Amino acid sequence: MIRGIKRLLFAVLLLVLSPFILPCNAQQPSAPIKVDQITGLTGVKNKTKGSITIDNGNLRFAHGKTNVDLPAASMQDVVTGNDSQRMIHGTLGTLTMVAPYGSGRFLSLFRTKLETLTIKYRDADGGLHGAIFTMGVGKAEPLKKELVAHGAHTSIPIQEDADKTSTKAPDAKEPKP
Amino acid sequence: MTRIFERGILFFLLCMTLFAAPGLRAQGKPPVKMKASSISVAMIHSDEIKLPADFQVALYEYLIQQLQKKGGFEHVYREGDRNAANAPDLVVLHSTVRGFKKGSEQLRQVTTVAGATSIDIHCQFKDKDGKLLLERDIQGKVRFFGANLRATYNFAKKAAQVAHDNFSPNPGAGT
Repeated sequence: MIRGIKRLLFAVLLLVLSPFILPCNAQQPSAPIKVDQITGLTGVKNKTKGSITIDNGNLRFAHGKTNVDLPAASMQDVVTGNDSQRMIHGTLGTLTMVAPYGSGRFLSLFRTKLETLTIKYRDADGGLHGAIFTMGVGKAEPLKKELVAHGAHTSIPIQEDADKTSTKAPDAKEPKP
Repeated sequence: MTRIFERGILFFLLCMTLFAAPGLRAQGKPPVKMKASSISVAMIHSDEIKLPADFQVALYEYLIQQLQKKGGFEHVYREGDRNAANAPDLVVLHSTVRGFKKGSEQLRQVTTVAGATSIDIHCQFKDKDGKLLLERDIQGKVRFFGANLRATYNFAKKAAQVAHDNFSPNPGAGT
């Protein structure tokens, strides 16, 4: 009997405290993700290296002392994609292109996979902007998921949602016996 | 010997005329610039061609950057910017993708001759009321060096040059 009361109390306590626990987790900024900003962020030069975090519903791009915040709610479309680049890129990569005996071409065969995150957003005046980021494999989709959870829109459903709909679809089409 | 020499001179003169003629024609008819102090850039449309989102955004952003740099306009507005409504002599640039071939950077670097990326875009410059002022087909290409997105930069440079050649805030003042 006493054990039953204890269990009931514990369950009630969990229920009462659960709303306080969830917002605490949501407000914690996510771990910074190293990215390359290809183009599109106001006040940031093209092809700038930096890091992205999601804090209080804002996507924050940090490069040195510069911080650019994009509210997730202002994002009209968030799309992920795939790309690749030479393993040796940048200035050194350009120099290897003229290396003797076709070694530059040989080095071009070694590539690293990348993921792209493309964001369309509106500024305070209603002007449409676009920003492109590249990052390591497996980082774009969770980032997109987090942005959508904070109010961003997307024209392409998140992977899990797409899987759910694709698994449901054959059932719907299945002919009745 | 003299005949050969004369024929040589004649051939040389003929060549000179052929090469100089287009230049002379161009000098005789300078392009008439239309008055436009500001431009609004609409997002690139690709209804028939499936264009990746990063290409679409890169085209739009590079186009705005190049127009700000080289277009010669006082203001370059983005799609949906409320300030554009009050701008005098506004030109609106609509771009539609007509062709897209995504090449391969790796193939370009390894073979040099294969793997080119190209984008064909139909550009229409319209006034505020939607009246067509100018239309051009512009191609963006990356043949040898650079990532696939460089084709979008190449297009933006050419489009900004077209805008610069045909529009000016003070058409009478020359280039």
